[in-house]
Order: sequence, then structure tokens, then C-alpha cells
Amino acid sequence: MKRIILRLIGRGIADLALDPAGTVGALCAVTLTSFLAGLFFMLLTTLDIRLSTARGESIFQIYWREGVNMELVRRQWQEYVHLPGFRSVRTYTPEQALEELGRRIGRAGGELDKSFPFLAVNAPLPATALVALSPTGPDPERWFEETLTYFRTQHGVARVTAAPLQDEFARAWKRVGNYVLWPAAVLLLLAQALSVGNTVRLAVRAKEHEIEILQLAGACNWYIRLPLAAGSAALGLAGGLCSLALLLLLQDRLGEALNFPPLSLRLHFPSARIVAALLLTQALTSALAGILAVRK
Amino acid sequence: MIRVRRLSHSFGADPVLKDVSFSLEKGDFVFLSGPSGAGKTTLLRILYAALPLQAGEVTVAGINLSRLPASRVPLLRRQVGVVFQDFKVLPRRSVEQNIALPLEIRGLAPKHIARRVMAVSRALGLQDRIRLKCGELSGGEQQRVAIARAFVVNPKVLLADEPTGNLDRELAYRLMELFKQFQAYGATVLFATHSEDLMRRHPGAYFMRLEKGRITAADWPGAGVFTGGAERIAGRDAGGRTARLYPAGRPGRAGPAFPDERLPPDGSLSADERLLPDLPRQRR
Repeated sequence: MKRIILRLIGRGIADLALDPAGTVGALCAVTLTSFLAGLFFMLLTTLDIRLSTARGESIFQIYWREGVNMELVRRQWQEYVHLPGFRSVRTYTPEQALEELGRRIGRAGGELDKSFPFLAVNAPLPATALVALSPTGPDPERWFEETLTYFRTQHGVARVTAAPLQDEFARAWKRVGNYVLWPAAVLLLLAQALSVGNTVRLAVRAKEHEIEILQLAGACNWYIRLPLAAGSAALGLAGGLCSLALLLLLQDRLGEALNFPPLSLRLHFPSARIVAALLLTQALTSALAGILAVRK
Repeated sequence: MIRVRRLSHSFGADPVLKDVSFSLEKGDFVFLSGPSGAGKTTLLRILYAALPLQAGEVTVAGINLSRLPASRVPLLRRQVGVVFQDFKVLPRRSVEQNIALPLEIRGLAPKHIARRVMAVSRALGLQDRIRLKCGELSGGEQQRVAIARAFVVNPKVLLADEPTGNLDRELAYRLMELFKQFQAYGATVLFATHSEDLMRRHPGAYFMRLEKGRITAADWPGAGVFTGGAERIAGRDAGGRTARLYPAGRPGRAGPAFPDERLPPDGSLSADERLLPDLPRQRR
């Protein structure tokens, strides 16, 4: 019996080669469907990781007045590292800010002042710092107000903008994730399953003639369905693996495309659990479609 | 071997078979004739359980179809070989794979399958084509493959639905000889055709004529074979209930038995398994 089962599984997989054009067509359809699902999970994972990282942070952007003593400002920047709950700091002198601006408007770094030499002498942008801190103490709102006051009262500071929203945004994201996104992801997985299943079902339908002959020769249901299930599962799995390869390629080529402020998004590959779920769904639904495609 | 009692069948409101009754014994060879739409194919399809039994009683190879659950249909099909006008071979598989199909379904060991396939393909003159894909064969060769596939398990009953319909006359005659060889091994053959020419060339065979779903005749005009046949044909007229066409054991009844006459239930071949001999010519 084991021999027969193994032979049927092997035959089901080998039979994919009998109709190369049909198999390639089905494989492409399955791959693309799976790729779209994978892409959604990739974006979801990227956002999730980004927001989880930023969660609990408050960002303070501090602008100094023009003509302020930069030596003093640099000393202040050094002090920020010792602030309680410190996470990161990015600083820009007026020259660095100008250079960054030049880069942003499409010129190579440092060329803006060459095009407009007077800017090099009299940089119009103020010194800036972007400080990320985690709240300390039992009352985050009070901590936020106190920290804001601290930055505002520093020598030479013209203005402070703060984004206390990061934490709230992360919490909101978590809520949206729980109530909308992950259920939507499950729905997408279901849609993917249906779509893949239907594709495989159509591919199996093309074998109706063969199935009819098997039935006439006295083959019982499992004898007919096992090779179809095995072949379909192999097709689904192959499609899943192809789509993962495409996602890896995408991540390699476009992974850094959104990695600039203020987005600073680096594309992350879905977790191993999601990848396994994708592949498993693909293989199982394909196998199931292969089984169900045979009419009694 | 085949017993049909008061069989009626309809598709929607259209009756296709009306109160058909007849019985065939082991080794009988019967032409089933009639115009297109007479119900020949429907009758055959009921006999191999491709259509459900609506009214009447049918027993094929000892299996009562009225009490046959769907799960047991494959068991019936293993006793019944079917050959079709459109061959129904697997074009992308080799001749060998096509012929071996019913044996694989029975779970026979590969070496037994190989021997048996070789013997049958030799008998049908296919031994040189065994590795070719069926799609590469001519129509006549494909039909021989289909016959070999039906024959390889030595079925008790062979049903043929216009198997020569797509072949030229010469090829049809040659294939007809193969069917007669089947009979020589004790198979009951029911051969549907509307070719009177084919029947005329086999005056020793019996026939049953279906018209508008009823058996209207079981005779062979001018052949003389059925002298006195009328009294055997109880169902000759439409009101008849039983159309016992002729006693079993006519042509080929005494033909040699298949070496391992029936495959044992476990699917293996008999202990003293021998290669099939070339099929003998039918004794007449």
C-alpha cells in the first residue's frame, strides 16, 4: 500500500511535466497571486517593525536662533546624550542643514552654496537638533510638558516642535492592527487561498479526460485524487517559493527606496511564521483544490 | 453474465429506454444495432454504471446494479472492459502506460504488469509501438491500445460502443477479429454498432436491434444463423419481457481459458503465472 501511495504521489508530481505550457501558466498565476499577498504582508511587517521601534518615543525638534554661538550649541548637543530616557539625536549645523537641503532638491551635496556663493558665507538655515526620548516617570504627559519647557528655556533656542504622537500613533496602530489589519490579512490569506485554489482547480479540470479514463478502468476515488492532490500541492508550493524569490528580489532592489526622512522606512521581509503560513496555505489549498476538482 | 429486466431510462421527459429485457451468458457475442438515438449508448452506459439505474433490474458479472453504492462502482468497472468510438486513450502517455493502467489500479507488482502488458501488446501487434506516446499513433493503433487496455485484465464482460465508428472499413474488419478473440477467452461481448456491413461479415454473431428505446428485433436477415431463432427471442416484439437471444457457448465458448483466468482478489497473479500466449484464432 505504501508503495502504491508513494508511486501515486510521485506520478502526480511527474505528471506536471506532461503539459508544460499548462503547468507554467498555472504556476505563473499561482506565483502572482501569492506575490501580491506576500507584498501586502511585507508592507504590513515593515510598518509594524517601524512603529514598534518608534513606539514610546517622543521626538523634539529644536531650532536655534540665527547668529547664535555654535560652540555653545554644540555643548548643549553633547548634554542631550545624558538626558534620562535618551534614545537618539541628530544634529545639523546651518552648513549641514544647507547641504541636506541641497541634497533634497536634487543636487549633489554641497553644490548649492557653489551655485549661490553668498549662501556659503551667510547660511540662512538655523542650527537644528532632532532628539528622541522615552518618557520617564509615572506620568508621561507631565514628563512631556517638562521636557518641552526644558528645551524651550535653553540658551539661544528660538522654537521647539515636538511630536508626542509617536506613542499614541503606535498604540493606535496596534489597535488598528488588532481590529482591522490582521483580520484583513487573514481575509487576504483566504482570498489568496480561493484564488490559488481556483487556478489549480482549472488546471486539474484540463485533466478531465484522463480522470474519466481512470474511472472507467476501475480506479477508486483516492487513487484518482491522490496524484492530483500531490501535483497540485507541488504546484502551489512551487508558486509560493517563486513568489518568495520575487519578494526577496524586490526587497533587495527597493528595500532602501523609502529609507529617507521623514519616512525612514526600510522594507522588511515577512517573518518566518508568515512565510510558513503563506507556503502552507498555498500548498494545502492547492492540494484541496486538486481533490475537489474531481467530480464524482 | 448480463441480465437486464424491464429497464427503462429517460433524460428529463424523454424516454430513451423502454422496458428493455434480455440476458447474456458467459461467452456470448452480441451485436447491438440500431439507428442513432435508439438508446444503444445509454444501455451500455447503464451497464458500466456511468448512468444511474432509474427503473428495472440490471445484473452485470454477478453485481446487482440497483444495489450498487457509488463507492463500489470501481469494483464493477474492474470486471467490465469498455471500448469507445473515440478510443479514450491517454495521448501523452506511452502505449505501455495506457495498457498497464488497469493493472496498476489493481495494485499489481511492476514485474507482473510488465509481463502482462508485453503479452497483450504482442497479441495485438503493438509490441513495436510500446514506447511511443499514444498521441503519435494512428487511429487504428489507438483503438488497438484501447482494446488492449480493456483486455489486459481479462474482463468478464466487454462493452464496445461503436468502436469501429472512426475507422475505415478494412481496419474495422481487422479490429472486429480482435473482439472475436476476446470472446474466445470466455468474455461476454456486447458490441454496439449501426454498421450493417460489419454485421453482415459476421453472420455467426447474434444481434439485438434497438429502436426508439425498445428491442424491436433479435435476428439476422439472410444469414441463416438464427434459424428457429424466433422462438428463442422471447422479447422480439415490444411487449416481450425477456429477450434471451441465444444459448451461451456459441462461437468461442470452448476457447482456451486465459492463463490466470481471473485476477485474484488480492490483485496478484496466479502462482504459476505464465506469459499470455498469442491469442488463438477463434474456432468456428
